Amino acid sequence: MSFRRIVPVQWCVLAMCAVSIQVRAEDPKPTPANTITVQLAEPVKPQVFSRPLKFFVVDVIDRSGNAQPMLVFKPRGGIFLDRTPAEITRAGLETCLRSANMLAADRDSADLLLTVYLFHFGLSDSSGMDFFGKVEFAATLKNPKTAKSQQVAASGTSIAGIAIRKKNIQKNVQEDIERAFADALRNLLRGVKLRDAVLALDLPADTPATPSQAPAPAATEKPSAPAIKQ
Amino acid sequence: MKILTIGTLAAALLWTSPAIAKDHEPHFKSVEAKHFPRAEGVELSPAFSDYLYAELRQELTKAKLFDQVIGEDEVVDAGDAPKSLVIVGTITEYKKGSLVKSELIGFGAGMRSLKVDANVSRRSNQQNLIAIHVHVKVSPRWDEKVMARFAAKNIVKQLKDSLKAEAKTS
Repeated sequence: MSFRRIVPVQWCVLAMCAVSIQVRAEDPKPTPANTITVQLAEPVKPQVFSRPLKFFVVDVIDRSGNAQPMLVFKPRGGIFLDRTPAEITRAGLETCLRSANMLAADRDSADLLLTVYLFHFGLSDSSGMDFFGKVEFAATLKNPKTAKSQQVAASGTSIAGIAIRKKNIQKNVQEDIERAFADALRNLLRGVKLRDAVLALDLPADTPATPSQAPAPAATEKPSAPAIKQ
Repeated sequence: MKILTIGTLAAALLWTSPAIAKDHEPHFKSVEAKHFPRAEGVELSPAFSDYLYAELRQELTKAKLFDQVIGEDEVVDAGDAPKSLVIVGTITEYKKGSLVKSELIGFGAGMRSLKVDANVSRRSNQQNLIAIHVHVKVSPRWDEKVMARFAAKNIVKQLKDSLKAEAKTS
């Protein structure tokens, strides 16, 4: 009699365990409710150079090695970015340059070409008492006339308070990443490193192009991924 | 009548006290905190320095002594340089602590500790304004990044107190 009573109970416990394990094992999925839009509150004003320069963002390459770059926070159903970090970085950088009239319309009209290698975008390990936002990238500046290049590293960090409610966690994470992103762009565009790199690469406007930098034939115009200097 | 006079005096005191306090409040255009490098033999995770830097910037923003907390190696206008400060420092010592000692002996034994030395200088002439020494001790159970949080708070508190004291004397 007692055996008959226990068996259904055991089955129920087993089934519940199996369901909970399955739920835990599943990765969070992006939904409109857990997706955040990271964008600059206002464009970062770049520093002023000795002569007006035009930059062109050739490419933004994600080198973070993150299998899920859009998942920024895993617990509590996850928090996702609406675009890839590379797209966000490109949009942010172009907005800042455009606001100061420093964005070239195309590759040919640019004084300097920018290729960005993204190493970190999102949250990093914190003390557990707050959220630690971190954006880290390196921009390779190339003068198309001389083919010389320089690399400028930039990083941005931000700390935001921890929250209990999912809605507040999402808000804090979004603000934290936005601040870190703005900080990284500011670090790049207003940094001494960029000024030094531009000084080293910039040539007067009337300098003729070297033969090696003559316009390529149409078939080879597809931009190739530049190699990183090791 | 007496109550009215006392009330008027109290109201006048309350009204003027923020103005008096503000007179001694030093104010700077900007402050730049640099990443604190680790001295030889200090074994901390590479992320620690980043975290300390972020916490320090957060605390400097909260202090409200500066119009702007600028990023590392950011270009500053020459005109703003005399009213701009730079904070450089070094993590001089880190002891991991011992959970066994902490549990068996107690009274502060086996605590995790961190020592940081920092210098605050004026950007225009590199004049050293304040030397800060911070020693933080936490339980060995706690994450090392908690120490960064306490160290940053301590650095900014010392900076604030020194700047206020200097403003009062001058």
